[in-house]
Amino acid sequence: MISARRPIVINAHVIWALMLRESRMAFGTSHWGYLWAVLQPAVTLSFLIIIFVLIGRGAPFGESLGLFFATSLLCQEYFNKLSVSLMRSFSSNKSLFAYPPVQTTDTVIARLLLVSSVHVLVGALFYTSLYLTGYGAIPWRPELVILAFVMIGLFGLGIGMINAVIYSFFSSWQHFEKLFGRPLLFMSGTFYVPSMLPPEAISIIKWNPIIHMVEINRMGFYADYHSEILDPLFIGFAIGGVLVVAMFAERFTRKMRK
Amino acid sequence: MIRFHDLSKSYPSYGGRHHVLDRSNAVFEAGVNYALMGHNGAGKSTVMRMVSGADLPTSGWVERQGMVSWPLGFSGGFNSTMTGRENVLFVARTYGQNTAEVLEAAADFAEIGKSMEMPVSTYSTGMKQRLAFGLSLAISFDTYLIDEVTSVGDARFKRKCDEALLGRLATSRVIMISHSETTIRKYCQAGMLLWDRNLYEYDDIEELIKDYKTVCR
Repeated sequence: MISARRPIVINAHVIWALMLRESRMAFGTSHWGYLWAVLQPAVTLSFLIIIFVLIGRGAPFGESLGLFFATSLLCQEYFNKLSVSLMRSFSSNKSLFAYPPVQTTDTVIARLLLVSSVHVLVGALFYTSLYLTGYGAIPWRPELVILAFVMIGLFGLGIGMINAVIYSFFSSWQHFEKLFGRPLLFMSGTFYVPSMLPPEAISIIKWNPIIHMVEINRMGFYADYHSEILDPLFIGFAIGGVLVVAMFAERFTRKMRK
Repeated sequence: MIRFHDLSKSYPSYGGRHHVLDRSNAVFEAGVNYALMGHNGAGKSTVMRMVSGADLPTSGWVERQGMVSWPLGFSGGFNSTMTGRENVLFVARTYGQNTAEVLEAAADFAEIGKSMEMPVSTYSTGMKQRLAFGLSLAISFDTYLIDEVTSVGDARFKRKCDEALLGRLATSRVIMISHSETTIRKYCQAGMLLWDRNLYEYDDIEELIKDYKTVCR
């Protein structure tokens, strides 16, 4: 039953249909897209390791360069992928909105679930390979690793949906989105321990919500990782804030976008 | 039953806003086949999209009981890189239907055989239309929407569409846009005239056609 006053989300049939449909296309027009989701972080990770080995530096924390980089890189990859892929969720599904049951929010949720499933696999693949080659570790507190993943998912959902709304009015937004995504590599503690930075640097990077989630992720992997910058209240406000803005933005521009 | 509640619809166009409806409270009673008439550009297709839910009113809302189709034969939702089969499965899942049944019925009706496994980009316009028509009829809607019955295929296929649609009308009803008096007389018992930002209801088709002629000529 389709009613005009349908609640914002919940349409399991449609979301499932979209997920199956998008599983063919969300990662590019061919199955190579899935390989890409693994290759991209793998290449970045390898480069960072090579550079650090060449200049003769050890891991900023723990024994393994690979694990240290991965604990931040994979968070960024997941967030970036959500941000880009949700941004296009309205525009690339435009023709489907002629089928009345398909609502814009369904396409966003379907992509969120699909990207998240892929990144659960990517994460499992990376951490397992690191462990099997002796460069990884079994998470000390796995619940924190899961918590970090969920937080990035929610934050990425909010940002991605806001991107989608802006992009539907202003297609050049895709270039700005990249502009904000790039500095994450330097701003998210990829090759340093944030707490060891000088206070001036900390006072800047602590405004990046992703770095807080990276800290939680690392606390999950390393038993003795302490964070000076982690602020649960800030994470809560950041996630809650973007989600509220995203919902309002979607709701109040719905008629203009149709 | 489908009811408009204080529904207004306008959209920006050259030289100010174009008003389709202004606080309409039209009712499409259950089980009755309606013809929707109006002059070119009055906004018949827009009204139909609002009935289906694919377009939103500027203000007011639409109350719907029963499952309403998308405009019959619409193939614009097909993704051309996906196969016919994948496209059909997507729509069947969207409506929570038995996918195997819908797939079989649609493929059977469209008569495109092995092409079901080919990307839609390889289809001719006729094949696409036949598949879209077969898909619409494979799902049992309470209300079928038809925006201008276009010629689908040859005379034999047209007859087949006609028979299938009439078969569906035993348990469902139709709301159709058409300029053809013959088609309207054949399918509809009631009508709506879209004129001057309002929908006027008729329970006599002949009167609808008479008024339509007065208004549009």
